[in-house]
Amino acid sequence: MTPTDSLTRGTGRTAVRPPLPVKMVIAGGFGVGKTTAVGSISEIEPLTTEASITEVAAGVDDLSLTPRKTTTTVAMDFGCITIDPTLKLYLFGTPGQERFGFMWDDIVEGALGGLVIVDTRRLDDCYAAVDYFEHKGIPFAVAINAFDGKVEHTLDEVRWALDVAEGTPLVVFDARERGSVRDALLVVLELALARNGG
Amino acid sequence: MADGFPPPGPDPVGPAPAVRPFLVTAGRVADSASGPAMPVETQVVATTAGLAVLDRLSFEQHDIVAACRIPQSLAELAARLRLHLNVVRVLAEDLREAGQLTVHVPDFEATHDSSVLRRVIDGLRAIPDSRGVLRDTD
Repeated sequence: MTPTDSLTRGTGRTAVRPPLPVKMVIAGGFGVGKTTAVGSISEIEPLTTEASITEVAAGVDDLSLTPRKTTTTVAMDFGCITIDPTLKLYLFGTPGQERFGFMWDDIVEGALGGLVIVDTRRLDDCYAAVDYFEHKGIPFAVAINAFDGKVEHTLDEVRWALDVAEGTPLVVFDARERGSVRDALLVVLELALARNGG
Repeated sequence: MADGFPPPGPDPVGPAPAVRPFLVTAGRVADSASGPAMPVETQVVATTAGLAVLDRLSFEQHDIVAACRIPQSLAELAARLRLHLNVVRVLAEDLREAGQLTVHVPDFEATHDSSVLRRVIDGLRAIPDSRGVLRDTD
């Protein structure tokens, strides 16, 4: 680990050195299996924290008392995997997909890549997430969650319906299976690596 | 689980009071006007100076410094202490200024380097298909 891995603020002595944190984002519609996928591979039980998303329309919530911001508090589930003592991967599930958009920058900025989970019975739930990753230029794959081992449409049908770019990987996986989630994340990372030029 | 964390329970985050958390920060929020907010995976570590004055810190500040004996992300801190992410961002910055924490903001150029990607890939590949007998939920 080199000193340039992170921008350390604060000069006090610490007993331990933190790992370099990296993150991936797991997106998709409500109930599509985001938290299940995180939980299948995370070394800790998924944690939930409250984060803010900025909304364009004025909302009726307590945080609107703070000036200049109209925010909504949403619950965000996440987990982590210690790659080695100097490198830790965080997996963030992004809630509130119906409003998925630029307001997620706060959580997604800097992610190595994204996995958009799709339920083929409700394809349109993931349009916003696909658009978001494409727009931001973040490497991502579309992962079709095979509920009960069944997929309602062929991969070609899904690719056509989602209108995802040719280079965007499409995989079928099972959010409950650790190895399956691992392999889906690997597809995203391989894509990120390829974009780096290997 | 480390000392100072609430015990795991079926309800990790109850309905959070909206006013109280921001009273802790005197109404301040992590604001994009003062530059981009610290990423959620930013690592926070207690300093020896911070741990030395632990007993003199007030509730949330005390809990944050105590929890950061083990380096952790802002997101983990927020989840474990049941504080809003933006409250933790503000308090961590305060505690850093007071010399009680160090804050390690990941450099995105470093994290996106091919060597880091390869290490993550190799690390993930080493994860076996099945978790074995340890898994007790789902």
